[in-house]
Amino acid sequence: MGLELLPDELMLILSQQWPCREQQLRQVSALFAVSPPALVIYGPTATAKSGITKAYLEASKLKYAYVRCRECVTGRHLLERTVAAVQQALSDDGSPTSQGRCETISALAALLQRLLAKEDKFILVFDDMDRQREAPPTLLPALARLGEFVRGLTTVLIVRYPSPRFLHQTGVPHLEFPAYNRAQSLHILAQEPLNIFLEPPLDDVNYDDEVHEEDKQWLWPRFCEAIWASLAQNAARDFTSFRDVCHKLWRPFVAPILKGDFGTRDFSRLLVAQRRLFQDESVLLHSIIATSETAVMKKVSHELPFYAKWLLIAAYLASYNPAKLDALYFMKSHERKRRKKGGGTAKSSMRPGQVRKISRHLLGASAFTLDRLLAILHAILPHDLRSTIDVYAQIATLTSLRLLVRGGIGGSDALEPGGKLRTGQAVTWEYAQSLARDADFGLLDYVAE
Amino acid sequence: MEYEKAYVFQPEETRPIKRRRVESKGLQASWNSRREAYQTAWQERQEGLEACLDTINAATVDSIAILLDGASQDAQSSRIPTGIIVTDPSATLSSGILRQLSRREGSGDGRRVFVALPSSSGSNLKALLKALIQRATLRHADSEDETDEVQLTRRKGGRLLNYDLQLLCDHVKEHQIQQVVVAFEDTEAFDNDLLSELIELLGRWRDRIPFICLFSIATSIEFLQQRLSKAAIKCLNGRLFDAAPAGEVLEQVFQAATGKRSPLFLGPGLASMAIERQHDYIQSIDSFTDAAKYGYMSFYYANALSVFLRPDLDFKDVADDHFEALRTLDSSRSWARHSLANQETARVRDVLESNEHLFRLVRQKMADGREILGNMMTALTVIGVLQNGLPNTPVSLKSSLYIQAMSGKLAGSAMIRSLLLTIRRVPSDVATNLLKEVLSLDADISMPESCNELVNQLNELVQAQDDEKKPLRSEDDLKNSTLRTTVVAQKVELSKQKSALSKQDTAYTAILRGFTDVLEKYFTDTLINPKDLLFHEIFVYDLKSPYREVFTPRPRHAIERALASPHDYLDCDCCAPDQDERDEATLASTQPASAVLYQLYLESGSLINASDLWQAFHAVSGDDKDDEQTMSLFQRALAELRSLGMVKSTRKRVDHVAKVAWRGL
Repeated sequence: MGLELLPDELMLILSQQWPCREQQLRQVSALFAVSPPALVIYGPTATAKSGITKAYLEASKLKYAYVRCRECVTGRHLLERTVAAVQQALSDDGSPTSQGRCETISALAALLQRLLAKEDKFILVFDDMDRQREAPPTLLPALARLGEFVRGLTTVLIVRYPSPRFLHQTGVPHLEFPAYNRAQSLHILAQEPLNIFLEPPLDDVNYDDEVHEEDKQWLWPRFCEAIWASLAQNAARDFTSFRDVCHKLWRPFVAPILKGDFGTRDFSRLLVAQRRLFQDESVLLHSIIATSETAVMKKVSHELPFYAKWLLIAAYLASYNPAKLDALYFMKSHERKRRKKGGGTAKSSMRPGQVRKISRHLLGASAFTLDRLLAILHAILPHDLRSTIDVYAQIATLTSLRLLVRGGIGGSDALEPGGKLRTGQAVTWEYAQSLARDADFGLLDYVAE
Repeated sequence: MEYEKAYVFQPEETRPIKRRRVESKGLQASWNSRREAYQTAWQERQEGLEACLDTINAATVDSIAILLDGASQDAQSSRIPTGIIVTDPSATLSSGILRQLSRREGSGDGRRVFVALPSSSGSNLKALLKALIQRATLRHADSEDETDEVQLTRRKGGRLLNYDLQLLCDHVKEHQIQQVVVAFEDTEAFDNDLLSELIELLGRWRDRIPFICLFSIATSIEFLQQRLSKAAIKCLNGRLFDAAPAGEVLEQVFQAATGKRSPLFLGPGLASMAIERQHDYIQSIDSFTDAAKYGYMSFYYANALSVFLRPDLDFKDVADDHFEALRTLDSSRSWARHSLANQETARVRDVLESNEHLFRLVRQKMADGREILGNMMTALTVIGVLQNGLPNTPVSLKSSLYIQAMSGKLAGSAMIRSLLLTIRRVPSDVATNLLKEVLSLDADISMPESCNELVNQLNELVQAQDDEKKPLRSEDDLKNSTLRTTVVAQKVELSKQKSALSKQDTAYTAILRGFTDVLEKYFTDTLINPKDLLFHEIFVYDLKSPYREVFTPRPRHAIERALASPHDYLDCDCCAPDQDERDEATLASTQPASAVLYQLYLESGSLINASDLWQAFHAVSGDDKDDEQTMSLFQRALAELRSLGMVKSTRKRVDHVAKVAWRGL
């Protein structure tokens, strides 16, 4: 069996499409030519693993099936989609044909044997194999061995970081796609400069598209270099996040040019003027709402009703006060005199505590029983509470809002006798304080320190 | 019996014929007509309420619709366009906005599928996807009947797993759907990881299925962001929308429920209870409409006099008992007393003796009463307009005004007095606007003539004024008085001095005083106490106890009371507490075993030794029975307490049970 490499012209086109990846492209081409039973392609995110594999297979006219594992919800789903993809690749018109059920990995092997009986070469690609949901533990080794059962089949597994011997098999060729370094990232990014002007400037007649093209070709790489040096080098090393940061900051960066304060080639002055952009690290955080909008939006949040506030305050106290101090803080009788129990010895009082004290409200919320919550609520309310069904319904509603969550060991059911709750993530010290301010309640007097 | 699993009751004789009272007598006779009256009355209210609910969030719904329309244009973006609706915590319970949106979609061209995904639709990814696909494909199939051909291609494509989004993808392709809107109704209730995973998955399918997400959140956007994974956040491209706050919604619904034309007016006690409950707890707005509806129902169904609320009532339709009932009403008694004092004996005699006279009186007085109450509502609007027009005056809520007015406390209240005083002080530009707005309100205010006159005078005065820029000031305006300090015998004396007023200002002061006098008279005329109206019991419903019993029961208290003092419920002779010692918790062997055990339980600490408990129980109720029987009673009682959630076994000590519930919480 001779090596069926791609013609050089095709390789050239591919390497132009995927810059800085000539070596990997050649390796892929060589490996597909010898068609080993299994092949592992690995490398960090955004290193053109899937892209090159797919592009190569498309160009090479090999028969192949491509399965995106991240779209599969269960292991069985993956198997069924694999069969469907193989059938689709084999049928001439591309339309899928009917199939039986494929529930286990051995059924898959049998099906593939039957389907690929007439093929002498077939490539089966599993993209993002390491991120498959609910994968049975035998799935990976079994898929790697598929090629041994089915003649002419090559299984390609694309993963991020293969652990050693994750296939329980030796001799499987591994192909590495390293992350792009600085020069490569900048080179790739420089290929697609963004526009400086969204619409041609009206006042200058001479400034046509050609000049604009030249200007942005000049300015964009310098801008990207500055981003790399300031932000991306440390915090956004993979290519997509680097590109995202560049795209996010480009518009604010060129805003002075649009205003006419700087010329398009005044890069160094522009850089100094806009240095704030490169110092602000908040661009690295993702947010659902575009950041420009959040600045404009007023703080919107609706207020909770009266007893919901009090319940949350009581829940906060129950979560962050130790239960043994409840009698001290919430007893209504005036037995405030504290008797010291079991006089501490001189030694123990002199020595600093073995356990370092961490302020309670910096620790996680601890669980409390429903009755403790209600008792604290009764104690802190300024008036008597007629405990109707509304109070209990309120607790349920707060639970569905995740302001209270089930607590206790293993998240036991709060409705069981003695079931436990605790305050949710959103109920922080600041939040509890703002609630207490609204309810006109001196929270500080009741928090144990 | 031993070999049968269930005992089938086979009566030997034929069943006795149940004696049912087929024809209703007395006050019950009007039952059918009352029910009809209720149905028509509530129907009308409900339509008003629904119309009100539909318009409340119209602005938000519009802006979301714009987002949806805009999103279909940039379909190639890799991030899912997302609308995040910040609602009131209570709004998550009713999902009004989403309902309005989907209703609007229903009238669209069908190129948009709307899927509401509540958190209850599944606890894992598979179930959620299943629900999503099912709803997205089902709804569309209803509107357009599928042809057989479509079915065939699906068969040919092989059967897919029912959580495979490929199903939805095929469906989208077949029907050329442009948008699949996935609405998360109660975002907070979803599990963090589950929601993140679902969003990531939707994001991966975005190139094939045009997803759009809508989240309605009741806390804050930061909280949502904390909960989602980074990859999920990357998938979303959100815009924020704000829904109407609950207080505003409540005001509008309240107004719709207590409109001027309603046949029945909710009394102050009931209305304030329902409103307070909305303010105190997270309640959906539906619970308020439920309260109003229940008020209507319990009035029409339980009060026979509600038959007089029927507008088309004829004298012959009313049974005699109803007239007897009318005569016993408090308001008619006091009317009779009052009339007798005024020497109108003949009239009282007519009413007491002839039903026909009484009927006429009722019809007339009810019409009058309703008109008076309607005028009162108008007066409330006038107060609202005045408060809105005056600078630096707090605007009181419509609902609180209503409650005050219905309890007859508004006339001569401090609020009205300070309102009138403020009006006396306003400069002429504000006063002109105020007068105009009051006049433009409604025709049925009884003060237009005098007001018109005042407006004319004011206009003349303003036109005659030479300096256009400076408005006229009244004498009572604080700016027209200065404080003067004089030192007399080493003491500082402060004295107020009115600065000299121009002629126009004096005239203007007179006009303002005239205006406030008119207003004051108007308010004292219209804001009467509804309790003083004759037959107010028929058109004002103010019974709090049915509402309280039905909407805010106290289950825990009821159980605790039943166990702690079973005599309250059983009312038996054996365990009645002694008359002389009013001690509630008397243990007696005659009480049910669970009650005895519960009272022992109340006396103990948080950990209870089972053997001690048994000893105590035996001492109370084991005198005349044998031990085995007492033991079985004890065990059953303990099991009952356990199933009520009062005790549980504890790992701390094997022979103890832990006390879980305390009394009185």
